[in-house]
Amino acid sequence: MASNKSLLKTVFFSEILQGLRLTIKHLFKGKVITQQYPHTKPNLPDGWRGAIVHLRYDDGTEKCVGCALCEAACPSHCITVISAERPDLPQKRIAETYILDMTKCVFCGFCVQACPVTALAASKEYELATTDKRKLVMTKDTMLTLGDKYFPVREKRPVYSDAKINLYEKLKAQNFPHVKKGEA
Amino acid sequence: MDLVIQVVVVIIQIAAVLGVVLTHVAYLTYAERKILSDMQDRLGPMEVGPHGLLQPLADGLKLFFKEDIIPAGANKIIFSAAPILVLVPALIGFAVVPFGRDSLQIGPIEITPYITDINIGVLYVLAFASIGAYGILLGGWASNSKYALLGGLRSAAQVISYELPLGLALVGPILLSESLSMKTMTEAQGGGIWNWFVVAQPIAFVVYMICAIAETNRLPFDMPEAESELVAGFFTEYSGMRFSFFFLAEYANMILVSCIAVVAFLGGWQAPLPALEFIPPIVWFLVKVYFLLFFYIWLRATVPRLRFDQLMAFGWKIMLPVALVNVLLTSIIKYLLN
Repeated sequence: MASNKSLLKTVFFSEILQGLRLTIKHLFKGKVITQQYPHTKPNLPDGWRGAIVHLRYDDGTEKCVGCALCEAACPSHCITVISAERPDLPQKRIAETYILDMTKCVFCGFCVQACPVTALAASKEYELATTDKRKLVMTKDTMLTLGDKYFPVREKRPVYSDAKINLYEKLKAQNFPHVKKGEA
Repeated sequence: MDLVIQVVVVIIQIAAVLGVVLTHVAYLTYAERKILSDMQDRLGPMEVGPHGLLQPLADGLKLFFKEDIIPAGANKIIFSAAPILVLVPALIGFAVVPFGRDSLQIGPIEITPYITDINIGVLYVLAFASIGAYGILLGGWASNSKYALLGGLRSAAQVISYELPLGLALVGPILLSESLSMKTMTEAQGGGIWNWFVVAQPIAFVVYMICAIAETNRLPFDMPEAESELVAGFFTEYSGMRFSFFFLAEYANMILVSCIAVVAFLGGWQAPLPALEFIPPIVWFLVKVYFLLFFYIWLRATVPRLRFDQLMAFGWKIMLPVALVNVLLTSIIKYLLN
C-alpha cells in the first residue's frame, strides 16, 4: 500500500509540485531583501567603526592633547603625531601635526580606546572610495570637519578649579620657573 | 507583377515575425531575470530604465560592441559557422506556426497569420530542431577546449535521446488531428477547452513538456552548460556577437517549443470557451505561450540540475517507453472509434 502511494507520488511529480508551490508563494509574497545601495543607504548600527575623526569641546576647541598614545596603539602604524606646546598655555600640549593614513587604517578602533581624553571617535563614514589616493591621508583639519559632521553634540569643556587657576596665575607671574617634582 | 507583390508580402511577413520573435527573446531574458529574482526575494535588474526595462537593450549593445575573440587553437571556419547553425534553425521553425485565425485582406493582397502552411509542418520543425544540435556539437568541438568539447558531447547525447520521446509525444496530436499541418491541427481543436488535445493526450503533453526542456538545454536539464562543472559548456570560448547568437538561439528555441506545445496540445489560437471567442485569437495564442514560458522559468527557480546519468536513464528508461505506449494506445483507441 505504501509503495503504491509512493508510486503515485512519483507519477504525479508531487515533490516537484510542492517545490513549485513554494516558489510561486515567494513570487507573490513581494518581500524583497535587496538593498538598492547607492539610492538607499543602509541603516548602520551604533558602534559602527568607520573613518576615525577628531572631536571638539562645546566651545569649539579641539580635544586632542597630542599625547601620541593613539600612535603607539595603532597596529598598522597609520597615525603620525607631532606634539607641541600650546603657545597660550605652555603647560598644555597639542598635536601640531596629526596624520592618519586611511590607506593603511584597518578600522580596529584601538586608537579610540587608547585616547585618554576621548578626542578620537569612529564615525559612520564608510564611503571612502576616491580617485585620488592623497585624499585618504587625513590631516587634523579634515578629521575635525568629519567629526563636526558626525558628532554634533559636543562634550562640555572641563572647568578648572579656582585653586588650579590661582596656581597657574602665580606661575605665570613668575614667568613659569622650572619646578621640581612634587614642589608645586 | 503579381509575383513581385507576393514576394514583397512574404518578405514583410518574415521581417515582422522575426522582429516580433527577437523582441520577445530580448524581453524573455528580462522576464526570466525578474521572475527568478522575485521568486528568490531579490529585485533583479533595476538600474537601466524604470525597473530595468531597458536592460535587454543595454545587454544587446554591450554584446554587440564586445571584442570578438577566436581562440588560438580553434578551427576558425567551424567556430564562426556554429552560432549561425544554432540560431537559424531556432528561428526558421517560426515559419509554420499559425499565430491567429483571420487573414488580413488589403485589396488584392492577403496577409495570413502564418508565414507558410506546409502539410508537414510538425516534421519540418522537428527536422530543423535536430540541425540545431549540430551547431552545438560543432561549436563545442571547434573551440579546442575540454569544457566546450564535454559540453558539446553532453548536449549531443541529450538532444538525441530526448528528440525521440519529443517526436513520439507529438504523434498523439498528429493521430488525433490526422494531419501534420500546424494549421489543421489547430483547427481540429476548436469548440472549447474539452476539445484541446491536452485533455485527450495528457501523458503526451507531460512527456512533450519535459522533453522540450531537455531539448532547449534549460534547467533542470541544462547539463551542456552546467556552470559548476563545465564553466559555460559548449559556448565557453565564445564572446561578443557569437555568444549572443547562442544566447538568442536558446531563448528563441524556448519560444518555439512553447508555440508548438500550444499548437499541438493547447488549441493554438482557439478560445477555451465558445463564449470567449470575442477576444482576438492572437491574444489567446499569446496568453498560452506566455503561460508556458512562465512555467519554464518557474520550473527553473524550483528544481535543481540532474546528474548526467540520471538524465540519460530518465530519457531512455521512462520517457521513451511512456511515449511509445502512449502512441500505441492512441492508435488503438483511434482505430476502434473509427
